Amino acid sequence: MKLRMLRPTLIALLLLPTLSMAQERIGADQGKLLLTAGFSDVEGTGGGGLVPWAVITGYGTNQSWGANAHYTDIRLRDFDLRSIGFAVGAFDRFELSATRHDLDVTGTALKGVAVSQDIFGLKVRVAGDAVYGQNTWLPQIAVGAEIKRHGGIEHAGALTSPTQLGARDDDGVDFYVSGTKVFLANSLLVNVTLRHSKANQLGLLGFGGDQDSGASLNFETTVGYLLTRKLAIGGEFRSKSDHLGADDEGAAWDAFVAYAPNRYVSIVAAYLNLGNILGPATTVNHDQSGSYVSVQFGF
Amino acid sequence: MFQSNSGFKAMNISKLLTTAGLGAFLAVATTARAEETLFAQIGGETTLKATVDTMTDIMLDDERINFTFANTDLAKFKKLLYEQLCELAGGPCKYTGRTMLEAHKKLNTNNAQFNALAEDLYIAFEKHGVPYHVQNRMVALLAPMQPDVVKKGGTGIPEPVQAAPTPAPAAKP
Repeated sequence: MKLRMLRPTLIALLLLPTLSMAQERIGADQGKLLLTAGFSDVEGTGGGGLVPWAVITGYGTNQSWGANAHYTDIRLRDFDLRSIGFAVGAFDRFELSATRHDLDVTGTALKGVAVSQDIFGLKVRVAGDAVYGQNTWLPQIAVGAEIKRHGGIEHAGALTSPTQLGARDDDGVDFYVSGTKVFLANSLLVNVTLRHSKANQLGLLGFGGDQDSGASLNFETTVGYLLTRKLAIGGEFRSKSDHLGADDEGAAWDAFVAYAPNRYVSIVAAYLNLGNILGPATTVNHDQSGSYVSVQFGF
Repeated sequence: MFQSNSGFKAMNISKLLTTAGLGAFLAVATTARAEETLFAQIGGETTLKATVDTMTDIMLDDERINFTFANTDLAKFKKLLYEQLCELAGGPCKYTGRTMLEAHKKLNTNNAQFNALAEDLYIAFEKHGVPYHVQNRMVALLAPMQPDVVKKGGTGIPEPVQAAPTPAPAAKP
């Protein structure tokens, strides 16, 4: 592991005791049950691994707030993606997040190329309660947006922007609505998300394209089984749309294990398949699959 | 406006079905013993009574909520809690206490405290070896009480208990 990758984790570890001492004075109540605050998904939004959930991030209740920092390391066949971010949940109603993506191409003819983007998320819970509403079919429902700003393509010679690959825009905004429900009597968590997006490969290859410039409505879901009060397993599916001739984008899925030993740390480990990435451009037509490891520090 | 969703390809649908199938399998697996009452799955009177005792001990050590039980008759509390859980779980009991709304009227309970008590119950069940999926079935029956137990804007600090009014001397004829 390179030092520059370790640094945010070290900073978070050093900050942790200070923050946990501070949290009592500034009223973070850590009042939710373990696992019910969700995790930081790949885009930094409170959710699972690939899919945003309707829960508000952090362990703060409706009278309080909570926050967390995450570091996610994804290693696929020919691509490594690091996601580092920070999120705040307030009054179990609002969520704000800021996340940085750094993608390194580790294989194919594009080896050495680096791509980055910043993602700013906001989410509002509009109805229901995922945990308390055990006597109703109404899930917890939230709406949200992910504002994505491309950081450019590096080490690829004259290629510096996704628009040169056929994308219509460097930057874009995803809108989503999520419904999350814990079927406690069955120890199941089910989440369904609909996302309105023009993004190519989460936005790392820009927005819209030569094949299809419009936005599409994508379906995403998480099904999790609660094994213990601190441990869950499950799977996710996320449809992604193919707008670029240079790319052959398909759906992504994962199988995960999530562990929350306490309210300060949680870990998600998954097998992740993001589908084909830039197959037509690189002539490497394998699915890009590999490991997903995310550590989250909460306070 | 919306393009047809090119994300839904035959291959992707099969993956989706796998995910849905996993969920359905787990749902069936956890409800296979549905014919047995929850009360029996917990381990009947012995385990449930022991769990209530342990939960009360944990709760009295739990600084998030122990002060709200300062004026509680603990023997009565344990008896009523057992009755309530037993009845909810399909056991041979009848809850004889006040409604949840009435019982929490002056406690100003907030969500963090409601969740803290649920957590203490989980830990007590764990200590008595009740399987987690069975614990969840019990908590699933308690969770809908949240609107009656939790007071909107509840401070978490109970209202001071008023001294019992001294009976007025009987009027002489």
